[in-house]
Amino acid sequence: MKIRSIVLALPIIMLATAAFVSPVEKLISQKTHISFFSSTPVEDITADNYKATSTLDTSTGDIVFSVPMQSFEFEKALMQKHYNSKNFLDTKSFPKSKFVGKITNFDEVDFAKDGSYEASVKGTMTIKGESKEVDEKGTITVSGGKVSAESTFEITLADYGITFEKGKPDSNIAKTIEITFIGEYDK
Amino acid sequence: MKKYKWLKPLLIVLAVSAVIGVGIVTYLLNMPHRDVQSTQTDFGISSKELVDEFLSNGETAYDKYLDESGESKILEVEGEVSKISKDFNEQTVILLKAQGEVAGVSCTFLPGQEDLSQLIKVGQKIKVKGVIRSGANYDADLEMYENVIMEKCDLVTSI
Repeated sequence: MKIRSIVLALPIIMLATAAFVSPVEKLISQKTHISFFSSTPVEDITADNYKATSTLDTSTGDIVFSVPMQSFEFEKALMQKHYNSKNFLDTKSFPKSKFVGKITNFDEVDFAKDGSYEASVKGTMTIKGESKEVDEKGTITVSGGKVSAESTFEITLADYGITFEKGKPDSNIAKTIEITFIGEYDK
Repeated sequence: MKKYKWLKPLLIVLAVSAVIGVGIVTYLLNMPHRDVQSTQTDFGISSKELVDEFLSNGETAYDKYLDESGESKILEVEGEVSKISKDFNEQTVILLKAQGEVAGVSCTFLPGQEDLSQLIKVGQKIKVKGVIRSGANYDADLEMYENVIMEKCDLVTSI
Protein backbone atom coordinates (compact mmCIF):
# COMPACT_ATOMS: atom_id res chain seq x y z
CA MET A 1 0.00 0.00 0.00
CA LYS A 2 2.75 2.40 1.02
CA ILE A 3 4.81 1.69 -2.08
CA ARG A 4 1.79 2.13 -4.30
CA SER A 5 1.02 5.55 -2.90
CA ILE A 6 4.63 6.61 -3.32
CA VAL A 7 4.62 5.40 -6.92
CA LEU A 8 1.38 7.30 -7.52
CA ALA A 9 2.59 10.40 -5.78
CA LEU A 10 5.89 10.60 -7.67
CA PRO A 11 4.55 11.70 -11.06
CA ILE A 12 2.31 14.23 -9.33
CA ILE A 13 5.24 15.70 -7.43
CA MET A 14 7.29 15.80 -10.61
CA LEU A 15 4.53 17.52 -12.56
CA ALA A 16 3.98 20.04 -9.80
CA THR A 17 7.68 20.81 -9.62
CA ALA A 18 7.87 21.30 -13.37
CA ALA A 19 4.89 23.63 -13.30
CA PHE A 20 6.06 25.83 -10.47
CA VAL A 21 9.78 25.91 -11.11
CA SER A 22 9.79 27.33 -14.60
CA PRO A 23 13.20 27.10 -16.21
CA VAL A 24 15.35 29.94 -14.90
CA GLU A 25 16.77 31.54 -17.97
CA LYS A 26 19.07 34.11 -16.57
CA LEU A 27 21.43 35.36 -19.23
CA ILE A 28 24.63 37.11 -18.19
CA SER A 29 26.55 39.68 -20.18
CA GLN A 30 30.08 40.67 -19.34
CA LYS A 31 30.81 41.77 -22.88
CA THR A 32 29.37 45.24 -22.83
CA HIS A 33 30.03 48.73 -24.08
CA ILE A 34 28.59 51.83 -22.47
CA SER A 35 29.47 55.22 -23.82
CA PHE A 36 28.33 58.68 -23.08
CA PHE A 37 28.31 61.74 -25.20
CA SER A 38 28.03 65.33 -24.08
CA SER A 39 27.82 68.08 -26.64
CA THR A 40 28.11 71.82 -26.08
CA PRO A 41 29.29 74.64 -28.35
CA VAL A 42 32.53 74.65 -26.32
CA GLU A 43 33.44 70.98 -26.71
CA ASP A 44 32.17 67.46 -27.30
CA ILE A 45 33.08 64.91 -24.66
CA THR A 46 32.83 61.13 -24.99
CA ALA A 47 33.83 58.35 -22.64
CA ASP A 48 33.78 54.57 -23.00
CA ASN A 49 33.36 51.73 -20.56
CA TYR A 50 33.75 48.05 -21.44
CA LYS A 51 33.42 46.56 -17.94
CA ALA A 52 29.72 46.63 -17.07
CA THR A 53 27.85 43.47 -16.08
CA SER A 54 24.25 42.86 -17.05
CA THR A 55 21.72 40.11 -16.49
CA LEU A 56 18.58 39.46 -18.49
CA ASP A 57 16.01 36.98 -17.26
CA THR A 58 14.24 35.62 -20.32
CA SER A 59 11.48 34.10 -18.22
CA THR A 60 10.48 37.33 -16.45
CA GLY A 61 11.95 40.19 -18.50
CA ASP A 62 14.00 41.44 -15.55
CA ILE A 63 17.03 43.37 -16.70
CA VAL A 64 19.88 44.65 -14.50
CA PHE A 65 23.07 46.58 -15.22
CA SER A 66 25.95 47.23 -12.88
CA VAL A 67 28.52 49.74 -14.10
CA PRO A 68 31.98 50.25 -12.53
CA MET A 69 32.27 54.03 -12.71
CA GLN A 70 36.08 54.28 -12.73
CA SER A 71 36.17 52.24 -15.93
CA PHE A 72 35.02 55.21 -18.02
CA GLU A 73 37.95 56.23 -20.21
CA PHE A 74 38.17 59.76 -21.59
CA GLU A 75 40.30 61.08 -24.37
CA LYS A 76 41.84 63.67 -22.07
CA ALA A 77 43.39 62.75 -18.72
CA LEU A 78 42.24 65.99 -17.10
CA MET A 79 38.62 65.35 -18.06
CA GLN A 80 38.86 61.89 -16.55
CA LYS A 81 40.22 63.32 -13.29
CA HIS A 82 37.41 65.88 -13.15
CA TYR A 83 34.81 63.22 -13.88
CA ASN A 84 36.08 60.98 -11.05
CA SER A 85 36.47 63.78 -8.52
CA LYS A 86 34.25 64.56 -5.55
CA ASN A 87 32.67 67.53 -7.37
CA PHE A 88 31.42 65.40 -10.23
CA LEU A 89 30.73 61.65 -10.04
CA ASP A 90 32.64 60.99 -6.80
CA THR A 91 33.57 57.52 -8.02
CA LYS A 92 35.49 56.59 -4.90
CA SER A 93 32.37 56.94 -2.74
CA PHE A 94 30.03 55.63 -5.46
CA PRO A 95 32.10 53.09 -7.41
CA LYS A 96 29.13 51.55 -9.20
CA SER A 97 26.01 52.77 -10.94
CA LYS A 98 23.05 50.53 -11.41
CA PHE A 99 19.90 50.03 -13.38
CA VAL A 100 17.23 47.59 -12.21
CA GLY A 101 14.26 47.25 -14.52
CA LYS A 102 11.84 45.17 -16.47
CA ILE A 103 10.94 44.79 -20.12
CA THR A 104 7.30 45.95 -20.07
CA ASN A 105 6.30 44.54 -23.46
CA PHE A 106 7.96 41.25 -22.57
CA ASP A 107 5.31 39.12 -24.35
CA GLU A 108 6.34 40.65 -27.69
CA VAL A 109 9.93 39.39 -27.39
CA ASP A 110 10.43 35.78 -28.48
CA PHE A 111 13.83 34.69 -27.19
CA ALA A 112 13.50 31.40 -29.05
CA LYS A 113 13.11 33.01 -32.46
CA ASP A 114 15.70 34.99 -34.40
CA GLY A 115 14.74 38.59 -34.91
CA SER A 116 14.97 42.15 -33.72
CA TYR A 117 12.47 43.24 -31.11
CA GLU A 118 11.60 46.70 -29.85
CA ALA A 119 11.61 46.61 -26.09
CA SER A 120 10.22 49.08 -23.60
CA VAL A 121 12.16 49.08 -20.37
CA LYS A 122 11.01 50.59 -17.12
CA GLY A 123 13.02 50.71 -13.96
CA THR A 124 15.22 52.56 -11.51
CA MET A 125 18.54 54.10 -12.37
CA THR A 126 20.95 54.81 -9.53
CA ILE A 127 23.92 57.09 -10.15
CA LYS A 128 25.99 58.71 -7.39
CA GLY A 129 23.58 57.32 -4.81
CA GLU A 130 20.55 59.08 -6.36
CA SER A 131 17.76 56.93 -7.76
CA LYS A 132 15.31 57.92 -10.44
CA GLU A 133 12.54 56.12 -12.31
CA VAL A 134 13.27 55.82 -16.02
CA ASP A 135 11.26 54.61 -18.96
CA GLU A 136 13.30 53.94 -22.09
CA LYS A 137 13.24 52.10 -25.39
CA GLY A 138 15.74 49.56 -26.58
CA THR A 139 16.26 46.74 -29.03
CA ILE A 140 16.67 43.07 -28.22
CA THR A 141 18.26 41.03 -30.99
CA VAL A 142 18.11 37.25 -31.08
CA SER A 143 20.45 35.69 -33.61
CA GLY A 144 21.41 32.05 -33.72
CA GLY A 145 20.42 31.62 -30.10
CA LYS A 146 22.57 34.60 -29.01
CA VAL A 147 20.81 37.48 -27.33
CA SER A 148 22.03 41.05 -27.41
CA ALA A 149 20.53 44.28 -26.15
CA GLU A 150 21.03 47.81 -27.31
CA SER A 151 19.71 51.16 -26.18
CA THR A 152 20.36 54.87 -26.55
CA PHE A 153 18.80 57.28 -24.13
CA GLU A 154 19.37 60.57 -22.42
CA ILE A 155 19.86 61.41 -18.78
CA THR A 156 19.67 64.76 -17.06
CA LEU A 157 22.71 65.09 -14.83
CA ALA A 158 20.95 67.28 -12.25
CA ASP A 159 18.51 64.41 -11.57
CA TYR A 160 21.41 62.54 -10.01
CA GLY A 161 22.84 65.45 -8.09
CA ILE A 162 25.61 65.97 -10.64
CA THR A 163 25.96 69.72 -10.68
CA PHE A 164 28.93 71.88 -11.40
CA GLU A 165 29.01 74.41 -8.63
CA LYS A 166 32.73 73.98 -8.20
CA GLY A 167 35.40 73.03 -10.67
CA LYS A 168 35.07 73.34 -14.37
CA PRO A 169 32.63 75.86 -15.84
CA ASP A 170 29.41 74.15 -16.71
CA SER A 171 29.51 75.57 -20.23
CA ASN A 172 31.80 72.64 -21.17
CA ILE A 173 29.40 69.91 -20.09
CA ALA A 174 25.88 69.48 -21.41
CA LYS A 175 23.00 69.38 -18.92
CA THR A 176 21.66 66.30 -20.67
CA ILE A 177 23.99 63.60 -21.93
CA GLU A 178 23.39 60.71 -24.28
CA ILE A 179 24.11 57.18 -23.08
CA THR A 180 24.53 54.23 -25.41
CA PHE A 181 24.52 50.65 -24.18
CA ILE A 182 25.34 47.42 -26.02
CA GLY A 183 25.52 44.03 -24.35
CA GLU A 184 26.01 40.50 -25.62
CA TYR A 185 24.53 37.83 -23.36
CA ASP A 186 25.66 34.29 -22.58
CA LYS A 187 23.82 31.59 -20.75
CA MET B 1 61.41 108.70 -22.59
CA LYS B 2 63.17 108.49 -19.30
CA LYS B 3 59.96 108.40 -17.29
CA TYR B 4 59.01 105.07 -18.96
CA LYS B 5 62.12 103.32 -17.63
CA TRP B 6 60.01 101.03 -15.46
CA LEU B 7 57.99 99.91 -18.48
CA LYS B 8 60.57 97.54 -19.93
CA PRO B 9 60.99 95.24 -16.91
CA LEU B 10 57.24 95.28 -16.38
CA LEU B 11 56.62 94.20 -19.97
CA ILE B 12 59.20 91.45 -19.65
CA VAL B 13 57.61 90.16 -16.46
CA LEU B 14 54.16 90.23 -18.07
CA ALA B 15 55.37 88.43 -21.19
CA VAL B 16 57.14 85.76 -19.16
CA SER B 17 54.09 85.16 -16.94
CA ALA B 18 51.85 84.97 -20.00
CA VAL B 19 54.10 82.34 -21.57
CA ILE B 20 54.20 80.33 -18.31
CA GLY B 21 50.42 80.65 -17.93
CA VAL B 22 49.71 79.48 -21.46
CA GLY B 23 52.23 76.68 -20.94
CA ILE B 24 50.50 75.46 -17.76
CA VAL B 25 47.03 75.58 -19.32
CA THR B 26 48.25 73.76 -22.43
CA TYR B 27 49.92 71.12 -20.28
CA LEU B 28 46.81 70.60 -18.15
CA LEU B 29 44.54 70.31 -21.17
CA ASN B 30 46.85 67.85 -22.90
CA MET B 31 48.17 66.08 -19.83
CA PRO B 32 48.88 62.48 -20.78
CA HIS B 33 47.05 59.60 -19.07
CA ARG B 34 49.01 57.88 -16.35
CA ASP B 35 51.11 55.07 -17.78
CA VAL B 36 50.04 52.24 -15.49
CA GLN B 37 52.71 49.81 -16.62
CA SER B 38 55.62 52.15 -15.95
CA THR B 39 54.22 53.35 -12.62
CA GLN B 40 55.37 51.64 -9.45
CA THR B 41 53.18 48.83 -8.13
CA ASP B 42 51.36 49.68 -4.89
CA PHE B 43 50.42 46.16 -3.75
CA GLY B 44 51.24 42.59 -4.73
CA ILE B 45 48.44 40.20 -3.82
CA SER B 46 46.77 36.93 -4.86
CA SER B 47 43.39 37.05 -6.61
CA LYS B 48 41.82 35.13 -3.73
CA GLU B 49 43.16 37.52 -1.07
CA LEU B 50 41.98 40.53 -3.06
CA VAL B 51 38.47 39.14 -3.54
CA ASP B 52 38.27 38.13 0.12
CA GLU B 53 39.29 41.61 1.23
CA PHE B 54 36.34 43.12 -0.64
CA LEU B 55 33.88 40.43 0.40
CA SER B 56 34.77 40.63 4.08
CA ASN B 57 34.79 44.43 4.34
CA GLY B 58 33.97 46.29 1.14
CA GLU B 59 34.13 49.74 2.65
CA THR B 60 37.65 49.36 4.03
CA ALA B 61 38.84 47.75 0.82
CA TYR B 62 37.38 50.50 -1.38
CA ASP B 63 39.01 53.07 0.85
CA LYS B 64 42.35 51.29 0.55
CA TYR B 65 42.37 50.66 -3.19
CA LEU B 66 40.35 53.39 -4.92
CA ASP B 67 41.51 56.92 -5.54
CA GLU B 68 39.32 60.00 -5.66
CA SER B 69 40.70 61.25 -8.96
CA GLY B 70 40.36 57.82 -10.57
CA GLU B 71 44.08 57.05 -10.35
CA SER B 72 43.48 54.03 -8.16
CA LYS B 73 46.04 51.59 -6.83
CA ILE B 74 48.28 49.66 -9.17
CA LEU B 75 48.33 45.98 -8.28
CA GLU B 76 50.25 42.88 -9.23
CA VAL B 77 47.75 40.08 -8.88
CA GLU B 78 48.64 36.41 -8.97
CA GLY B 79 46.03 33.83 -9.83
CA GLU B 80 44.78 30.98 -11.95
CA VAL B 81 43.40 31.69 -15.42
CA SER B 82 39.75 30.66 -15.55
CA LYS B 83 38.55 32.32 -18.76
CA ILE B 84 40.04 34.20 -21.72
CA SER B 85 37.81 36.39 -23.87
CA LYS B 86 37.68 39.57 -25.96
CA ASP B 87 35.66 42.68 -25.23
CA PHE B 88 33.89 45.03 -27.67
CA ASN B 89 37.10 47.03 -27.97
CA GLU B 90 39.01 43.90 -29.10
CA GLN B 91 40.97 43.90 -25.84
CA THR B 92 41.81 40.59 -24.20
CA VAL B 93 40.04 39.94 -20.90
CA ILE B 94 41.45 37.31 -18.55
CA LEU B 95 39.56 36.15 -15.49
CA LEU B 96 41.74 35.06 -12.59
CA LYS B 97 39.69 32.75 -10.45
CA ALA B 98 40.48 29.41 -8.89
CA GLN B 99 37.93 26.61 -8.93
CA GLY B 100 35.41 26.75 -6.16
CA GLU B 101 35.79 30.49 -5.58
CA VAL B 102 32.71 32.70 -5.83
CA ALA B 103 34.37 35.67 -7.51
CA GLY B 104 37.61 36.42 -9.31
CA VAL B 105 39.60 39.27 -10.80
CA SER B 106 38.67 40.33 -14.33
CA CYS B 107 41.71 41.84 -16.06
CA THR B 108 41.43 43.80 -19.31
CA PHE B 109 44.76 43.85 -21.12
CA LEU B 110 46.33 46.71 -23.02
CA PRO B 111 46.55 46.06 -26.74
CA GLY B 112 49.94 44.42 -27.20
CA GLN B 113 52.10 42.80 -29.81
CA GLU B 114 51.80 39.26 -28.56
CA ASP B 115 48.67 37.19 -28.94
CA LEU B 116 47.80 36.43 -25.33
CA SER B 117 45.39 33.64 -26.21
CA GLN B 118 48.37 31.78 -27.70
CA LEU B 119 50.58 32.56 -24.74
CA ILE B 120 48.19 31.87 -21.89
CA LYS B 121 46.04 28.83 -21.27
CA VAL B 122 43.14 28.22 -18.93
CA GLY B 123 44.38 26.66 -15.68
CA GLN B 124 47.75 28.35 -15.90
CA LYS B 125 49.00 30.50 -13.02
CA ILE B 126 49.99 34.01 -14.00
CA LYS B 127 50.85 37.37 -12.47
CA VAL B 128 49.20 40.46 -13.91
CA LYS B 129 49.91 44.15 -13.34
CA GLY B 130 47.14 46.70 -13.78
CA VAL B 131 44.97 49.36 -12.18
CA ILE B 132 42.00 48.43 -10.01
CA ARG B 133 38.62 49.96 -10.98
CA SER B 134 36.13 48.29 -8.66
CA GLY B 135 35.85 45.56 -6.06
CA ALA B 136 34.09 42.23 -5.69
CA ASN B 137 30.68 41.95 -4.05
CA TYR B 138 27.48 39.95 -4.08
CA ASP B 139 24.84 41.90 -5.98
CA ALA B 140 21.31 40.96 -4.96
CA ASP B 141 19.79 42.42 -8.13
CA LEU B 142 22.13 40.60 -10.49
CA GLU B 143 21.82 37.60 -8.17
CA MET B 144 25.50 36.90 -8.63
CA TYR B 145 28.97 37.80 -7.39
CA GLU B 146 30.74 40.56 -9.25
CA ASN B 147 34.46 40.23 -9.97
CA VAL B 148 37.17 42.68 -9.00
CA ILE B 149 37.86 44.77 -12.11
CA MET B 150 41.34 45.65 -13.31
CA GLU B 151 42.30 47.43 -16.52
CA LYS B 152 45.36 48.51 -18.51
CA CYS B 153 46.88 45.16 -17.58
CA ASP B 154 49.97 43.41 -18.78
CA LEU B 155 51.54 40.09 -18.00
CA VAL B 156 54.29 40.15 -15.38
CA THR B 157 55.16 36.46 -15.38
CA SER B 158 53.78 33.05 -16.09
CA ILE B 159 54.35 31.02 -12.99
